[in-house]
Amino acid sequence: MTRQDRHTLRDWRGETYYGQQALKYPHWDWKVSGYIAVAGTAGAAQALATLGSLRDPEGLRAARRGARLMALAGSTAGAAMLIADLKTPQRFHNMLRILRPTSPMSFGTYIFGAFGGASLFSAFAEGPAVGRRHLLRWLGKAAQLVSGFSGAGVATYTAALVSATSNPYWAAAPRSLGGQFAGVAVAMGAAALALWERLGGRDATARRFEKVAAIATLAHVGASTAVNKRLKECGVSQPIEHSKPQRRLKASSLIIAGAAPLVGYALSAALGGRAGRNAAMAGSCAALAGGMLMRHGLLEAGKAAREQPESGFALAQPMKGDDDGH
Amino acid sequence: MSFDLPRTRESVQGDAIEPGRAYGFFTDTTLCIGCKACEVACKEWNQLPAEQEAMSGMSYDNTRELSATTWRHVAFVEQMDGAAGNADPRWLMMSDVCKHCDPAPCLEACPTGAIFRTEFDSVVVQQDVCNGCGYCVPACPFGVVDVDEVDGKAHKCTLCYDRLKGGREPACAQVCPTDSIQFGPLDELIDRAHERTRALHDRGETDAYLYGVPDSPGATGGIEKLNAFFLLCDRPEIYNLPAAPTLPSRRIAPAFGASLAAFAGLAIAAAALLGGGRR
Ligand code: SF4
Ligand code: SF4
Repeated sequence: MTRQDRHTLRDWRGETYYGQQALKYPHWDWKVSGYIAVAGTAGAAQALATLGSLRDPEGLRAARRGARLMALAGSTAGAAMLIADLKTPQRFHNMLRILRPTSPMSFGTYIFGAFGGASLFSAFAEGPAVGRRHLLRWLGKAAQLVSGFSGAGVATYTAALVSATSNPYWAAAPRSLGGQFAGVAVAMGAAALALWERLGGRDATARRFEKVAAIATLAHVGASTAVNKRLKECGVSQPIEHSKPQRRLKASSLIIAGAAPLVGYALSAALGGRAGRNAAMAGSCAALAGGMLMRHGLLEAGKAAREQPESGFALAQPMKGDDDGH
Repeated sequence: MSFDLPRTRESVQGDAIEPGRAYGFFTDTTLCIGCKACEVACKEWNQLPAEQEAMSGMSYDNTRELSATTWRHVAFVEQMDGAAGNADPRWLMMSDVCKHCDPAPCLEACPTGAIFRTEFDSVVVQQDVCNGCGYCVPACPFGVVDVDEVDGKAHKCTLCYDRLKGGREPACAQVCPTDSIQFGPLDELIDRAHERTRALHDRGETDAYLYGVPDSPGATGGIEKLNAFFLLCDRPEIYNLPAAPTLPSRRIAPAFGASLAAFAGLAIAAAALLGGGRR
C-alpha cells in the first residue's frame, strides 16, 4: 500500500451476502468422476503391470495382458465420458488448439492422449496376429513402457485438476489430496489386476497384487485423514459436515474403500483355500467400488459447498489459501 | 455495410480509446444509488435475456448474482445497526462485474484458448472457440463466469469489447447517472481512486478502502491486480467478495507433485512385492 493510507480490515465474523453463493460450481456430473476413477484405474494397472513384468516377466505375463486390455478399455471409456460431459461436444477437438501449462485440463488432455495412443498399441501387440513377429512384439513392449509412464500421469494429474480451482473443498489441501488420488488409483489398479488373476485361476500372482492394493489402501486412508484435518483447520469442512447426504457419502466410501478391502485381504490370508479366495475377491471388488464412490463423493462435496458461501470465504482469508506444507 | 457510429469517448471526453493500453472499471460504491441502470444497459447492449423469475425477498436485490446472462449485478446491503461502532442505519450498494483479473484464473484454466486477453487488457471468451468444458467456472475466485445451459458456452462481461473497438466506453459506465462506474485507462483510474479514498478519509469516512488495486484486498495470492476494482466501506464478504483470493494455478505443482511422489513411493513398494520374492 504505497499511495493509500494503510487500512486494516476489521475481523471477518462469518458474514455472507444473504447466504447467496459466492462462487460458481462446475456443471460436471458422474461422467467426470467416472473418468477420474476409470482412467486412474487403467493408468495405475498399466504402470503396475509394466513394473511387474520388468521384475518377473514370466510369472506376470497374464497380468500384463490383462493390464493392456484394461488400459485400452479404460482410455476408450474415459475419452467417451470426457467428451460426453462437454456442453458443446462437437467442439471436443478444440482442446488440441493449445497446450497450457497453467491448466491441468489442458496438459492433462495430452497426458491422457499419450496414454490412449500407447495403450492402443500395447493392446494390439497382444493380438493373435502378432505371434512371433519380433518387430511388433518389440513395439508392443515400447508401447507398454510409454503407456505405463503416462498411466502414472493419468492417475495423478487429476489431483491437480480439482485442486487448481477456487472450490474451497477441492483447493484447501492440494498436497494431501495428491496423495489420496495416487493411493486410490493404485489401490483400484492393483485390485483390478488381482481380480483378473483370481478369475484366471492364478492365485499366487493375485496375492502379490492384493498386497499392493492393501498398501495403497492404507496410504489413501492416511492421506484422506490429512485432507480432512486440513479442511477443518481452514474452516472449510464444517459447513459440509452439516449435510446428511454428504456425511453419509463420506462414511460409506471410507468403509467400502478403506475398511472392506483390508478386512477382505486379511481374512483371505487367515482362511486360505476357497473361502480365502472369495474373501480376497470381495476385498478387491470393494476397493473398486469404494474408489468410484470416493471420486464421486469429492465431486459432490465440491458442489455442495455452493450452499455454504462461508466455506469459500473462510479459505480466502489472508494466509489460509496460501497453502504451505499440506 | 459500415457501422461507423460516432467515437463518442473521443468527441465528448476528448480521450480516444487506444488498443495497447490497459483499461478497466473503477466502481466507487459510495456513489451507487442502486438504480440498476447498469444492469439494464448491459442487457440491452449485449442482447442478454432477462432471467428474474421472482422476488428474492431478501432486499431490493432481485438479481441476486452474476450469471451467464447477467454481467452487471447491483448488490444491496441493508445494515440496520450501521457500521461497527456507529448506530446509524446504512445502505451499501455495489454494482458487481467481472474483475478482468491480471493474471486471470479463468484464462489460465481454459484448455481451448477460448478465453484471451484483448488489446485493452480485458479478458474475453471467444464464443466460436469455447467447447463448454466448464473448467473456467470453478476456476474463477469471484463466481463470475458461467456456462449457459441453452447454448453450451461460457459467458461473462466483455468490458464491451465491441464498443471499445468502436471508440465508445462500456454501456454500464456510460449510463451510470452518478459516475459510480468509471471507465478509463487503468493507471489514471487507480490514481483517481487513491485520491478519492484519501478525500473520503479526510471527510471522516475512514472505512473506505480499495479492493483490487495492487497490494490491496482482492489483489492477493498471485493475482496482481483486478482491472475492474472497487471502493468499498465494509468487509469484502459483506458484498459477496473474497478477502484474499488466490490464483488456482499455484496449486498445480503441489497437487501434481505430491501425487506423483506418492505414486512413485507406491510403485517402489509394488516393484518389491510383484517380484514375488525373486532376485
Ligand atoms: S473475475 Fe472471474 S471471470 Fe472475470 S477475469 Fe477474473 S477469473 Fe475471469
Ligand atoms: S467452458 Fe469454454 S471458456 Fe470455459 S474453460 Fe471451457 S472452453 Fe474455456
